[in-house]
Amino acid sequence: MRVNYQTNSAVQFQILTDDQRQEIFRSALQVMEHTGIEVHNEEALSVLKAQGAAVEGTRARIPGYLVQRALSTAPSMFTVYSREGNTAKNITIGPNHINYGPGPTCPNFRDARTNERRKYLRRDATDVARVCDALPNIDFVESLGTINDVNIDLADVYEFADMIANTGKPIVAWSYTLETCRDIHQIAAAVAGGEDKLRQKPNYIFYAEPLSPLVSSREAADKLLYCSKHRIPIIYTPCPMCGGTAPTTSAGILVTAMCESLHGLVISQAISPGTPFVMGGVVSIMDMLSSVLAYGAPELALQSAAITEMARYVGLPVWSTAGCTDSKLVDEQAGIESALSILLAGLSGANLAHDVGFIESALTGSLQMATMSDEIIGYVKRILRGIEVTPETLATQVIQEVGPGGHYLGTDHTLGHFKTQFYFPQLMDRSRWEEWEAMGHPSMGDRVQMRVNDILDTHEPALLAPEVKKQIEDILAKAEARYRD
Amino acid sequence: MSDTLVQISNAVIEGRVKDAPGLTHNALQAGLTAKDILDKGLMPGMDVVGAEFKKGKKFVPEVLLSARTMQASLDILKPLLAEAGAKMTGKVVVGTVKGDLHDIGKNLVGMMLEGSGFEVVDLGKDVAPEKFVDAVKKEKPNIVAMSALLTTTMRSMGHTVTALKEAGLRDAVKIMIGGAPVTADFAAQIGADAYAPNAPAAAELAKKFVSA
Repeated sequence: MRVNYQTNSAVQFQILTDDQRQEIFRSALQVMEHTGIEVHNEEALSVLKAQGAAVEGTRARIPGYLVQRALSTAPSMFTVYSREGNTAKNITIGPNHINYGPGPTCPNFRDARTNERRKYLRRDATDVARVCDALPNIDFVESLGTINDVNIDLADVYEFADMIANTGKPIVAWSYTLETCRDIHQIAAAVAGGEDKLRQKPNYIFYAEPLSPLVSSREAADKLLYCSKHRIPIIYTPCPMCGGTAPTTSAGILVTAMCESLHGLVISQAISPGTPFVMGGVVSIMDMLSSVLAYGAPELALQSAAITEMARYVGLPVWSTAGCTDSKLVDEQAGIESALSILLAGLSGANLAHDVGFIESALTGSLQMATMSDEIIGYVKRILRGIEVTPETLATQVIQEVGPGGHYLGTDHTLGHFKTQFYFPQLMDRSRWEEWEAMGHPSMGDRVQMRVNDILDTHEPALLAPEVKKQIEDILAKAEARYRD
Repeated sequence: MSDTLVQISNAVIEGRVKDAPGLTHNALQAGLTAKDILDKGLMPGMDVVGAEFKKGKKFVPEVLLSARTMQASLDILKPLLAEAGAKMTGKVVVGTVKGDLHDIGKNLVGMMLEGSGFEVVDLGKDVAPEKFVDAVKKEKPNIVAMSALLTTTMRSMGHTVTALKEAGLRDAVKIMIGGAPVTADFAAQIGADAYAPNAPAAAELAKKFVSA
């Protein structure tokens, strides 16, 4: 028996102290109460007013106790389910659980086979869903683009319909309007086998975005209200830029980003206490030369890890950002930026780290980038497992057996442990020079493309039942009919 | 192929060392010859292991376990093979060169060679050129296989090749070399015949030498 003995079962990491977290949270409450939020939505404003917010025009000043009350009803943990009923593909969203996935809505795409940069097409949503379904370290799926070759007003609905048909992993959905948000919900319900079943076991999460600084648009609030009424898990998070749409300082962006999520929390919990709600955001900087929202900046990785700590502090799950780059190519810069953000997301315990596969500051989606990042996530997950210290792992018995000058290769200890102790890379090359030459001296980029091709050639996702497919076609047809007159 | 031989192959593939002696005795009792067991049971099993390793589906510790399984069977078969005058694939003298005390790699190569049906004479580690020369005179091998892990000791490989030349034995054997710092270029530079990057590749190379 070991007594009074401390163990770590994961690698430890922390940015903010408890005092700093308290101060950031207090400051956010202060801003919500004194500065307030612009809410361009009548229903949302009336909900806030009924709760006790001071509403003047579109400005809602929200007292701290409303936020505290909403935090007390929101779950700190929930599950999103695989439509296949495959428990290995369910995701737990809560403290100490990390999940990674791609991001949405890039206008451009790198063709999955040719790597050509072009507009994102409908077939790309299918490719993205299939490849993500196969990648072992991708936990949830987004499309990496916005479809350009369908009725543009329904691009969001086509995207969701095609993705859910081609992956059994949970999907994070977005929509242009309340109407298409409803269409998507109907498709999800058809796949789940009905509204009741979907409510018990949600197969998707909905993403809506407040504007920075401190604004909820009518559409964003509409979607927030709809999801709350239907108890659809909702991510309500901003994309602020330090120096542009948020203060330049890291502590400052944490304050405004929290306000932008937490006023949404108050609305959602007032309508339906207990509705799963996720805070967070893409909390990066504005590059002061190009003016882009930087997706590979060290500040993104740092601030994302900090907002994860804030979310855990207030007891909410977090939407974080990782595996993305400002580089135009899946090159050295992409590898460095992806690795750092994925590592910090993992260390901090980001519950949903999205945008894996974004290049060109989120203007282009790339399955090549997502596939390379999948390997990086594998490395990071291995590091996060930490070091187990037990009599078996201390290995003194086998050290005694082998003795000085012997070797451990053939021992039962090695055979029993090497497959779980070591991470086996899928893409990283550790071969000897001659072996590598014999393979045709493939670069990382070559190996990534081979893997993408291989998955596209061989991976078959679980099919939807024909009657479900029919229902989805009907939903799409009805949506199209709205635009015919 | 008989079930017994398939079982022996599978024991090798799966690295079931403990099952090897029993299965070997059963095969002999069933009237199979030692040569049959080697050629049609053990070696096809090791061929599968080598192929799986090449594909990245088996790993070094597992290959080693398979080689050990084969050896457990060979311990029983060797006297019988000698008695029957059965011809082995060939004979290899192996050793880690002078000044170098590393022998994991050399041991692995030795086991893989035995797995391919070679008779292996292991000279151990820190083997001086004249010891290689003596062994070639005495054992008359087809192949001399040298290993070095250090850049500081790999030069001993060249000294050994020179010693064999001076003793007039260079053309009597094929010389193969291996080890972390060793390359195909280096093999050519010192006048060795070939280089193998890992143990299964060494066994394949040796087979090519004796079948040529």
